Amino acid sequence: MKRDPIYGMMAEFDTAQGLLDAARKTYQSGYRKIDAYSPFPIEGLAEEIGFHHNRVPLVVLIGGIVGGCLGYWMQWWMSAVDYPLNIGGKPPHSWPAFIVITFEMTILFAGLSAVLGMLALNGLPMPYHPVFNVSRFAMASKDRFFLIVFSSDPKYNAQETRSFLETLQARSISEVPS
Amino acid sequence: MIAPAIQIDLSPPPIVKTLAQRLMIAGIALAIVAIAFAFWRPDEFYRGYLLAFMDWLGVALGSMAIIMIRHLTGGGWGVVIRRIQGAAMRTLPVLTVLFIPIIIAVAQGRVYPWAMPLSSITDDHIREHLTKHSFVKADYLNLHGFIIRAIIYFAIWNVLSFLLTKWSHEGDSPSAPDNTQRFKAVSGPGLTLYALTISFAAIDWVMSLDPTWISTIFGLIILIGELLSAICFAVFVESILYRYKPMSELLKPDFVHDHGKWMLTFTMVWAYFSFSQWLIIWAGNLPSEITFYLKRLNGGWGWIGLILALLGFAVPFAILLSRPFKRNIRKLVWLAIWILCIRWLDLLWIIEPNFSATLRITLADIVVTAAVGCLWLGFYFRNLASLPLLPAYDASASEVLEPTHG
Repeated sequence: MKRDPIYGMMAEFDTAQGLLDAARKTYQSGYRKIDAYSPFPIEGLAEEIGFHHNRVPLVVLIGGIVGGCLGYWMQWWMSAVDYPLNIGGKPPHSWPAFIVITFEMTILFAGLSAVLGMLALNGLPMPYHPVFNVSRFAMASKDRFFLIVFSSDPKYNAQETRSFLETLQARSISEVPS
Repeated sequence: MIAPAIQIDLSPPPIVKTLAQRLMIAGIALAIVAIAFAFWRPDEFYRGYLLAFMDWLGVALGSMAIIMIRHLTGGGWGVVIRRIQGAAMRTLPVLTVLFIPIIIAVAQGRVYPWAMPLSSITDDHIREHLTKHSFVKADYLNLHGFIIRAIIYFAIWNVLSFLLTKWSHEGDSPSAPDNTQRFKAVSGPGLTLYALTISFAAIDWVMSLDPTWISTIFGLIILIGELLSAICFAVFVESILYRYKPMSELLKPDFVHDHGKWMLTFTMVWAYFSFSQWLIIWAGNLPSEITFYLKRLNGGWGWIGLILALLGFAVPFAILLSRPFKRNIRKLVWLAIWILCIRWLDLLWIIEPNFSATLRITLADIVVTAAVGCLWLGFYFRNLASLPLLPAYDASASEVLEPTHG
């Protein structure tokens, strides 16, 4: 697949509120493939760019269930199949004794799934990302706020998108080469 | 002094007063039936009364504990239900009076085996135990000790409630002093005192139904049950108020989400404590401890245990994992009501198998719970109607009255 030479159009804002307002207007005017960058989390920003759900909770749930089943199976296999011992006269397969480890394995796997799932769904580690082609973007980790409209958006048009972003009182607007 | 950012009428909607009147009338009507039970079948009445009292006391004390937790941690979730929980806390004087029938039961030698003459204890195991260890009755489990300890518990609870209410009420007037530090100074020791007093009260009022049995985690199981009852009750009341102003403007999904998280937390801790008790006793399998579960897992009582594990923990736990569910008050309230029913069933499962080897839920259990409940709710809604739904000039009010960013 041939890569589009232009990754998108990026607008820079001075304040979190500026970015929030711009994100809302951009989404309302029909752009869907957009993203926002800020030095700190901004409440409500994800909703403004139309990002309502992420799949991390599902990954965590599946990880937890797998961990729980694995934990129980492991104990059952060790205590009842591979090396049965008489402990207090109780049957080798005594479920109450297995619950604690099952619970811990659930938490362990859910926790690991959360970290690894988050990294995987974010596409991390990512050695190259086009947004860094704009030198001002380095300020996104300091005190500037950025909004980008991707060139893959059906409504994207170099001139129109630029003039639209200009109406949002952006501090600067740059085309991002990919 | 901080002026409220939004000027809105914070007085409770008229429905609160209507509910107070109707529930009070229903409560009086049911109380007459309950009193009839007291003469007709006194033993069943007093057992049911203990169950009802522990159930509704839990809502009041749990509310007080959550208020104190919020004073220490802060957070808008707690500000928005401060007065909802405060009204429950302020029923403690009424609950103090409602404790009198339990003292009557002890004085008449009913319900509690240690209050009866040794010869009339039906359970051989308990009779032998009390005969062998005579100090149990001589030094601790006797009428005077029971009354003196109850006075101490209720005194501590009422003083805490009085102080928290007094300073909260000061926040209603524009000249309010900043009471944040006072609240903190009382809440830290207050929570410690609550944990200690409810543990001893749980031993006195519930665990002593079987004086042979010991569990060191029992007080905590009662404590966490009270917190769970209280947050579910707050969700129930906020869902009623949410239909009217001003709560419809104050209660944001973020706050409801936090209440849902508390429900999940307390459900998990309750299950954790209950399971820990079961695991330790099951593993030890000692005659002095395992009898508790032998009574509660045989003769049909095991079905209640299964309902508690599945419908009290597993199902609510799975439902509460959902983020959209926790943020929607209209859905969350149904689970809150369900958990309030489970709280009653849990207390029933703890209390009633002491009296019957086979599964038996008497009419008195239900009628007395409803009677005490309606009376309590009547006082509760009367309290709720008496103060604004937020202390508008309290330092914490801005967390609810101001928008999150602006």
